Amino acid sequence: MRRLLPLLVGVLCAFGSAARAQAPTGGAGENVVQRGEYLARAADCAACHTPPNGQEFTGGYKFSLPFGTIYGPNITPDKATGIGDYTDDEFVAALQRGVGRGGKHLYPAMPYTNYTLMSREDVLAIKAYLFSLKPVHAESPPNALSFPYNQRWAMVFWNLLNNPDRRFQPDTSKSAAWNRGAYLAEALGHCQACHTPRNFMYGLDEGRAYGGAVVQDWLAYNITSDRDSGVGAWSDDDLAAYLSTGHATHHGSAAGPMAEAVDHSLRYLTQPDIRALVTYLRDVKPVHDEIPAAKPVQADALGARIFREACVSCHALDGSGRQTPYAALQGAHSARDPNGTNLLQILLRGGNIATGGPTAFMPAFGGEYTSEELAAVANWTIGHFGQRGGEVTRKSVEGVRPGGPGSAAQPTPGG
Amino acid sequence: MLTLSINGTSHQVDVPDDMPLLWVLRDVIGLTGTKFGCGIAQCGACTVHLDGQAVRSCVLPASLAQGRDVKTIEAMAQDPVGQKVQRAWLDLEVVQCGYCQSGQIMSATALLTTTPKPNDADIDAAMAGNICRCGTYVRIREAIKRAGEA
Repeated sequence: MRRLLPLLVGVLCAFGSAARAQAPTGGAGENVVQRGEYLARAADCAACHTPPNGQEFTGGYKFSLPFGTIYGPNITPDKATGIGDYTDDEFVAALQRGVGRGGKHLYPAMPYTNYTLMSREDVLAIKAYLFSLKPVHAESPPNALSFPYNQRWAMVFWNLLNNPDRRFQPDTSKSAAWNRGAYLAEALGHCQACHTPRNFMYGLDEGRAYGGAVVQDWLAYNITSDRDSGVGAWSDDDLAAYLSTGHATHHGSAAGPMAEAVDHSLRYLTQPDIRALVTYLRDVKPVHDEIPAAKPVQADALGARIFREACVSCHALDGSGRQTPYAALQGAHSARDPNGTNLLQILLRGGNIATGGPTAFMPAFGGEYTSEELAAVANWTIGHFGQRGGEVTRKSVEGVRPGGPGSAAQPTPGG
Repeated sequence: MLTLSINGTSHQVDVPDDMPLLWVLRDVIGLTGTKFGCGIAQCGACTVHLDGQAVRSCVLPASLAQGRDVKTIEAMAQDPVGQKVQRAWLDLEVVQCGYCQSGQIMSATALLTTTPKPNDADIDAAMAGNICRCGTYVRIREAIKRAGEA
């Protein structure tokens, strides 16, 4: 028995921590609506159900997908245009199985393959929160998908392959923080929806989970534990700061869709939850990409001139950031990407990030500068701050200019 | 209500958190030596010091200046480095129309405070982004070097 006791205690502890990981979010004394609000933030519902610069949850956010355009619908409790008529079971079916009211299949832009991991209790807390909001009459524009993608019934087959339709099962061999982080990342935050590449069926390529992917013209970075390609070399504090505020010293700032994720979701998470996310991300299997090594690069004269004219007033010539640390370019991932994927987006469209304080913003430079000039300044930035040879060309700028041939033409809200 | 330390004096100002510092300086407190040029951090005319660093006040939300030391062109006559810079500016007759010069002097003073003997590259880095429509750049460079020797 003396030998059995520690074992028994160990098992009980593991059981206890697993139970905690599954336990619904929110402090003691919070009512179901408050809990639902926190969960809705953690699940980042607002990002896709809020129109650019519009009222939260009223729908109309545009997704430009390879096979057409769809819009996030109104999820206020308006009966005519929102979700006012949903019963509990119908709401649970939508989040866990991707089946909307009247059996209408949802498209997987709605991350129900993640939300399916949520407990029924948490799903209904979110419903309670949404139903506590003022109903707003707001019709979303009709979706425009090409055949066969406009056939909603076909989602039955996609779901068989891609939606496990199961609830989150804690891993009892891991800590409570890990399990909490897993629940936040997988069931709620649906980080993989952007950070994991998709296969030809638009399902997630699980072999490269969190390995990075291009979504709506933005590169969602590799955030696996790989030291070179991922975030393995970041300190816990830096990761926590980046998730909570969209910025960490010597790692640059979040922009585009990640800035939206911070703005709508991550900045509302408690610090223990942020730390739990960090614990989980630390343990994600590394995915290594071959990245050209840093090397001194011949400066682009036109790019240097434009940077001195147009960029130094906020970024400073040494990239330290002048008015705000959010303008720091030192260590920014965007400056290490030879293709300048995200650099071009922020140059062309500008951007902003709200983190509770005043908004940090960058104006769009697409209208004032030619594609040659933007390519030059992007290459200079990559060479100077990323120490890599930029490969941005006039053509690559034109490909992603808003309204350009290859552009997803998704205006950054507020940008 | 924000509390701002400007040129060593504490000011209580009732403004929105995101009002640019330049608006507070000129329109609320009445310190009009700092100029409005472009309003989007592209010209440098509005440059002031925030804890000694040259920043563009037109894009700096006033709330971010709380608890920090703001200095404007009005304080440069009392600043040991600022005095040298203004002396050199007068000796070499740097100014033509003058509109950008508050900003030029603030950037030059911030540079000389951290780098008393700047070389051309230091000057290029620190003065980039301060635009002068009259083209006084050659005299600005000379005056910075003169102030560094004084």
